[in-house]
Amino acid sequence: MRKVYNWQIGRNASYIFPENRPKKQWAIIFDLNKCISCQTCSLACKTTWTSGKGQEYMFWNNVESKPYGGYPVGWDLGILSKLGPQAWKGNKYSGKTLFEAADKDEKILYHLPEDADWSYPNLGEDEVSGMVNQGDWIATYPHRIWMFYLPRTCAHCTYPACLAACPRKAIYKREEDGIVLIDQSRCRGYRECVRACPYKKSMFNVETRVSEKCIGCYPKVEKGEMPQCVTNCIGKIRIHGFVSTPDKARKDNPMDYLIHYRKIALPYYPQFGLEPNLYYIPPIHVAPSFLEQMFGPQVEKAMGSYINARNDHELQALLVLIGSTEKILHSFKVDDEYAYGYDEAGKEVVKAPITEPKIVRDYHDGKLNAYRQNTP
Amino acid sequence: MRAKSFLFILACFLFSGTVYAEEAAFVEFTSYHRDTDVGRVGLDSEVWKNVPAMRHPLQRQFLVLPKPSEVGVKEVFVQSVHDGKYIAFRLTWKDSTENDTLKITNFSDAAALEFPVRKDPLPKYFMGEMQKPVHILYWKAWRSRDQEKGFQSVKTAYPNMTSDLYTFDYSEKGRGTEKTQEEKEIFIPGRAAKNPLSFPHKEIVEELSAEGPGTLTTKNIENTSGAAQWKDGEWTVLFVRPLTVDDAGSVQFKTGETIPMAIAVWEGGHLEVGSRKAVSPAWAEIRLE
Repeated sequence: MRKVYNWQIGRNASYIFPENRPKKQWAIIFDLNKCISCQTCSLACKTTWTSGKGQEYMFWNNVESKPYGGYPVGWDLGILSKLGPQAWKGNKYSGKTLFEAADKDEKILYHLPEDADWSYPNLGEDEVSGMVNQGDWIATYPHRIWMFYLPRTCAHCTYPACLAACPRKAIYKREEDGIVLIDQSRCRGYRECVRACPYKKSMFNVETRVSEKCIGCYPKVEKGEMPQCVTNCIGKIRIHGFVSTPDKARKDNPMDYLIHYRKIALPYYPQFGLEPNLYYIPPIHVAPSFLEQMFGPQVEKAMGSYINARNDHELQALLVLIGSTEKILHSFKVDDEYAYGYDEAGKEVVKAPITEPKIVRDYHDGKLNAYRQNTP
Repeated sequence: MRAKSFLFILACFLFSGTVYAEEAAFVEFTSYHRDTDVGRVGLDSEVWKNVPAMRHPLQRQFLVLPKPSEVGVKEVFVQSVHDGKYIAFRLTWKDSTENDTLKITNFSDAAALEFPVRKDPLPKYFMGEMQKPVHILYWKAWRSRDQEKGFQSVKTAYPNMTSDLYTFDYSEKGRGTEKTQEEKEIFIPGRAAKNPLSFPHKEIVEELSAEGPGTLTTKNIENTSGAAQWKDGEWTVLFVRPLTVDDAGSVQFKTGETIPMAIAVWEGGHLEVGSRKAVSPAWAEIRLE
């Protein structure tokens, strides 16, 4: 085991290989307050990448309902119960990562789902956290009873468990964008990656007898476009880009701004120690205790910032940039009325109004001598 | 460390003079010469009745991570005959579960014979080493079932699974753009990448070479035939190969000579796969009578 720096848990952590960061790191930010689980992302991915034999129940992108849903069934509970209760000290994780909790004969602590666990892509959909009593109504944040949707792809981790676990080095992380790929000609279907990935985003194809995973839509990313699951999101809850380490964070990079400067988008299960690159804006109606075990100790601050977004011009500007373009934004600018996004060459690719123009019409239409009704 | 202590204990046994004959056999097997057509020998041929079965202890693979904490198969019995043209190995071991069915989380029962491509210098017994390759004959229960019942696929693994349409795979001609099989297989990544595991094969024994752990590579040859049967909690697996073959990277056998050999067995029901396996404690040797 080597020691590598993991900024998400604020300390050095164990990994199989030395620290070797890519030039740029692929990342997605999701605003969980806006996801409605329409599964357009899942289908956009499926029709693009996994329509073949052996991929029928394979969802490189899936959306599950929390707290009870999951694909494969119980992926999170499976590994969390093995890891056991762990603690944070402030923003530094004082517990064990999955590499640190590994048995002496293993590279990583793992949970191997059962066969049937892969057969229910959306089991637990819309299940709420508890019983709804008669007369219950929603009065405050967080809600007493809650649920939320969690869209997930491969996190193209900085310290991928799949890559570390593969005994054949059939998995590699691209230097240019940090995308993690399984070499389809080199894999021998041992499924060590399926065991090791705590997020269960390596999947076995029974038709080809080798494992597959999300490819980060690298052909699109190479052309400066965001992945299919991002550009097809009808709720505009996602933005894709490149995230820096905190020491190299640029304030004008939309990803760095939301992740590092505002700390409103948080990595999921950072305590696993993989430095995953899916970042979530936590849903403000959910019990912070649940969100903390999932997104770490900065949850309540992030929820507070989100609730205050209406009074926060720059943050609001960033939130309207999410879902406003298919092009990867490398920088942004905000003025009184608009948020502007720029590509790698510095060319403006999007200009989005921070507040949509509002027109208030009179109740009475004098020309037609008619009263305008509020019904659609 | 564990390997060293094992060898030390082994040495104590060997020099103590109280070694049982069958224990000593793990160091040297004999391939008996028989006047029969070994190229056509079967799993239950008469010839096996008069050939001693030599007990070979196996232990958990302990050199590279991940290591199995315990293995399902701890001994294998080895028989071997040759006729000057062909050599046959018959392995039997106890395994209470037959794991030959392909599924997402099913692991196949399997067994492998390993030989150095060249004896001198002798490669490390565990998967060989750089510039000192080993030749591996690898039988997998999945492949036996493929041969008996047709190549296993998603249809055999999950018969009740439904899919409306596979890309370009129209049920009727003329309903869409006709594509060649190769064009359709772009959507089946392992096949598009020509991964040998993704295609049916003539033989149930795969031939591979390796120059160290993690370097296992399928050889594009099928010189070894085989047969396998699981019955009453026991696997019997047969490997048959000509003594010599036209391939520089293959092991060559010669009457009267001794060749190092190692064995590995995987118990699929125990989730054994890859390095999670039971292996010979060191190189054994096989002498061709």
